[in-house]
Amino acid sequence: MTAAVQEALELGKVESHLHPEGSFDVEAHEVPKGREEIWRFTPLKRLKGIHDSAPFADGATKVEVEAATGVTVETVAADDAVRGTSGLVPTDRVSARAWAASTGATVVRIPTDTVIEGATVIRHHGTGSQTAGAGHAVIVAEKFAKATVVLVFEGSAIVADNIEIVVEDGADLTVVSVQDWADDAVHLSTQHAKVGRDANLKHVSVSFGGDVVRHDFTAEYAGPGGSVEALGLYFADAGQHIEHRLFVDHTAPKTKSNVVYKGALQGEKAHAVWIGNVLIRKEAEGIETYEENRNLILTDGAWADSVPNLEIETGEIEGAGHASAIGRFDDEQLFYLQSRGISETEAKRLVVHGFFNDLIRQIGVPELEEKLTSTVEAELAKNINTLITKDNA
Amino acid sequence: MTSIEELNPELKGIGKYEFGWADSDVAGATAQRGLNDAIVRDISGKKSEPQWMLDLRLKGLKLFGRKPMPTWGSDLSEIDFDNIKYFVRSSEKQATSWEDLPEDIKNTYDRLGIPEAEKQRLVAGVAAQYESEVVYHSIREDLEEKGVLFLDTDTALKEHPEIFQEYFGTVIPVGDNKFAALNTAVWSGGSFIYVPKGVHVDIPLQAYFRINTENMGQFERTLIIADEDSYVHYVEGCTAPIYQSDSLHSAVVEIIVKKNARVRYTTIQNWSNNVYNLVTKRAVCEEGATMEWVDGNIGSKVTMKYPAVYLMGEHAKGETLSIAFAGEGQHQDAGAKMVHAAPNTSSSILSKSVARGGGRTSYRGLVQINEGAHGSKSNVLCDALLVDQISRSDTYPYVDIREDDVSMGHEASVSKVSADQLFYLMSRGMAEDEAMAMIVRGFVEPIAKELPMEYALELNRLIELQMEGAVG
Repeated sequence: MTAAVQEALELGKVESHLHPEGSFDVEAHEVPKGREEIWRFTPLKRLKGIHDSAPFADGATKVEVEAATGVTVETVAADDAVRGTSGLVPTDRVSARAWAASTGATVVRIPTDTVIEGATVIRHHGTGSQTAGAGHAVIVAEKFAKATVVLVFEGSAIVADNIEIVVEDGADLTVVSVQDWADDAVHLSTQHAKVGRDANLKHVSVSFGGDVVRHDFTAEYAGPGGSVEALGLYFADAGQHIEHRLFVDHTAPKTKSNVVYKGALQGEKAHAVWIGNVLIRKEAEGIETYEENRNLILTDGAWADSVPNLEIETGEIEGAGHASAIGRFDDEQLFYLQSRGISETEAKRLVVHGFFNDLIRQIGVPELEEKLTSTVEAELAKNINTLITKDNA
Repeated sequence: MTSIEELNPELKGIGKYEFGWADSDVAGATAQRGLNDAIVRDISGKKSEPQWMLDLRLKGLKLFGRKPMPTWGSDLSEIDFDNIKYFVRSSEKQATSWEDLPEDIKNTYDRLGIPEAEKQRLVAGVAAQYESEVVYHSIREDLEEKGVLFLDTDTALKEHPEIFQEYFGTVIPVGDNKFAALNTAVWSGGSFIYVPKGVHVDIPLQAYFRINTENMGQFERTLIIADEDSYVHYVEGCTAPIYQSDSLHSAVVEIIVKKNARVRYTTIQNWSNNVYNLVTKRAVCEEGATMEWVDGNIGSKVTMKYPAVYLMGEHAKGETLSIAFAGEGQHQDAGAKMVHAAPNTSSSILSKSVARGGGRTSYRGLVQINEGAHGSKSNVLCDALLVDQISRSDTYPYVDIREDDVSMGHEASVSKVSADQLFYLMSRGMAEDEAMAMIVRGFVEPIAKELPMEYALELNRLIELQMEGAVG
């Protein structure tokens, strides 16, 4: 076991039903039955057995890398010491199985003191294989480095993966994970970040496609002054299950976290789940945290679960809060636009556009912003007819 | 520096918990410990209950054994069910005048100030439960004439079996949860209220619960039925002596609010710090009905209580105001549940909690909007105040929405008492602990103002006691 892992395990245990104990041993995690706190929202039947013991094989996805100048991307063996440096310890069976099954790891490294222009893109293209694949990636931003890394998942596949993010002292890293899967894909991703002293991490999760997409993002701090901004954008269509689970573990003093997730839902049985856990440990004095989740339900038959949990063990904090909301179109906004001669459909399109736009702007990756805006438009176009017929009915 | 006690002479000489005395304990000493079939039959036999109630009790006992202990809330592993006295009869018959009560019991209530409140007509009816049974009962004559029933639950079963059987266990079924099952098996005492159509009970009905015996389990059962267009406000308070080992209080409260009726239920729970307080409270609202829970949790070792409102009729409304204080060694796991099962229903939850001295407060809530409950609205606000570095505060809200045409908002904030606020008040000549108490009072004010006057005063006084020594 690496020193980092050891260290992670030694952190004080917190009495809470939310955080199962981590272990690399697959058998230490029982096969979920659906009643467990961490599994109660996930449709286990649709996971193609990866939560149980379905085999993993290579070839579920083809990986293409477009590395920006100055960034090294290499593939290392599964026993390489770089695995585990983020302090990731699997807390569920899927993550532990993926850890054990992956035959190598993609390592993205941004050298000390370098500022990288342009984004490094790692594209995972699903091959349509019916056998599940296990992935592993480690992204390391060395001291005072600055870069953007984009992970794209597309095509059709069954994937379980662990993504480790290490932001060393003073570094500034943006990681964007785009789940733009085909309709039948199943993707369970565990992404864990360790944020160093005075380092910044912006983590963005964008989920559009897939049958079941479950995305766990957890973050801890290796020193004071670190900051995590976790942004998320999702669009759940008919029959889709999109689940985001976040856990920000304030393990060091004077750290910051800001979580903003926004989603739209449309179509029969579209289901979005957002769980935002924040733990402020005794030693984490002077921290600041805020979490926000907003859901816009566009049509009948869609539903959203939103659970922001906040656990605080010290009163010596700058501030902590969260907000969550689930609603439909604001009649006043629609009326305002319509009174200015805009058609109802167009007004609705504009409202959704506005709902997502300030979030898209915050991502700060120009080449992505345009793409995201147009994907949102395309998603809306799929359903624009239902929006009108529903209202005229 | 003027101390808080000099400014508030009435606080002088008061310890941390002022209701901690114990009376001589004759009845309790002979009571049997532990729970089995025979105990349940014995309780039912002593009360000469009908067969259906005995059957229900035995069913409850069976389910209690089978249901798992909740693992998600407070630590309940220290409750020793075999050491608890499940039924203690303290007085052979119920009194209708305080003079008729045994001296000990009368003194207790005198010290708690209950007869005084009645004399001053601050309340319309009083029930006093001591150990397992209600020992004193009275109701204002004019209300009785209008057909308002305010009885202890045991008497209600004898005198009004039809109403009783129609509603008992319909809001909270026997097997709802482990502690509801336990309550069904060994329930005793509690209040039964029936308000006829159109009757407004303008001043509150009050009940006071007292545990005296060590290792006592109090399992009162309250059933309130507000018929169409009626209104009633029910207030309960609770205290217990301080003993070395723990007692258990596990009540079940069922409320039926019929069309356009309104019920307000206020609790100021101030059990001593060795009582496990595990209570199931639930109300069902018909069309246009309103249910309001005002829930104050100040005492107890562990409280797990989430008053619920099931909004079953269109335009029904549910409201919960929850306030919790956790001091040293206390865990207040409180919250609210709102289930929207009909269109255009609305609910709001306002929760405020203060933790100090290593105490822990948790807000745990559920807002569920079922399919078909279109046009529903829900708003949840929880604020927590942490006074020091060693206390803990958690927020576990849970939202489940199965309908698109709704609006749901949740907000929470946790803060510490800010140095700026303290400095401002102290620069105006206030002592630090006085300033601290004032900030806390301001923090809970939105809820305190909803309480009846004497309870609001009581709450303020309790806050000052709780805050005493909060600043080093």
